[in-house]
Amino acid sequence: MINPLDLTGRTIVVTGASAGIGRSTATLLGGLGARVVLVGRNVERLNETARLLEGTPHRIAPFDLTRLDEIPQWLAGLADEVGPFSGLAHCAGIASLVPLRVLGIGHLDEVMRTDFYSAVVLTKEFSRKRLHAANSSIVLVASVAGMLAAPARSAYSASKGALIAFARSAAVELAKSGIRVNCVAPSYVRTDMYEKTANGLTPEQLTALVNATQPLGLGTPLDVAHAIAYLIADTGRWITGSVLAVDGGYASQ
Amino acid sequence: MNKTEFYRNLDELLEVDPGTIKSGDLLADLESWDSVAVISFIAMADEKYGVNIPAKRIAECRSVDDLAAIVADTQPVSK
Repeated sequence: MINPLDLTGRTIVVTGASAGIGRSTATLLGGLGARVVLVGRNVERLNETARLLEGTPHRIAPFDLTRLDEIPQWLAGLADEVGPFSGLAHCAGIASLVPLRVLGIGHLDEVMRTDFYSAVVLTKEFSRKRLHAANSSIVLVASVAGMLAAPARSAYSASKGALIAFARSAAVELAKSGIRVNCVAPSYVRTDMYEKTANGLTPEQLTALVNATQPLGLGTPLDVAHAIAYLIADTGRWITGSVLAVDGGYASQ
Repeated sequence: MNKTEFYRNLDELLEVDPGTIKSGDLLADLESWDSVAVISFIAMADEKYGVNIPAKRIAECRSVDDLAAIVADTQPVSK
């Protein structure tokens, strides 16, 4: 039996691997045969993810991606040790539900740094010749919020919109280097981040919101991980610069 | 928590003249207390007082004093 998603022999970096979509993606890619480099801030939680993984010995790499200036040296060091990388799934990010009237520059900067700048620096460094394999794939986790409007989402939407525009441009620029760059754009998925965002709404408001916006209901982290695996593996060989909505129908309405 | 300062923060949040909000005010009587104000309040409490308040607790509040009590009673979270 053939498995078109087979990742045997590939080393894939997964950021945000300590929880949610990142943890689910790391687990799935490991199950598909990849050697996974688990990136996150919290060692304990990375180890928890590592224990969920099967197969090839995996590597945890605790790092705070908001330390943008330190990313180049850190990623190069990792590549020396376990590289070159065949893929990067950038799942790290923070949610933001802040109305414009109370949106401060400090918060805006935190959101842009975590959700956007980190992706740019990671992609730039990944594209260095000795860091990536001949054919490789970068998947950035954006959001439907990067394409569609919602109140109190201006900072988050702007960061994810920037991510989508960046991915398209990088895809064109890096095609000749054998690197594909794509985004997945999830909507409401049951994660810790969702629970935190959900704090801003009453349970009734939340149920009404999900039912009104997502014909297929609330998603799971694994739903998004499957889409990421598809874009990382050879199944995505002819796809670059695209944004795959993984949203239970949210973006279709 | 300084209550006077808290009410001034509410003034600013609700875009009313400084000194407008005072102890005893009922949320139902405040024209600008709407769903966006609730989310703004959560963001303000996080930024200025370092506390994370669920919307369902705010939904139980009747007065500005109740809001002050929630902020005062909630343990700050480390980021």
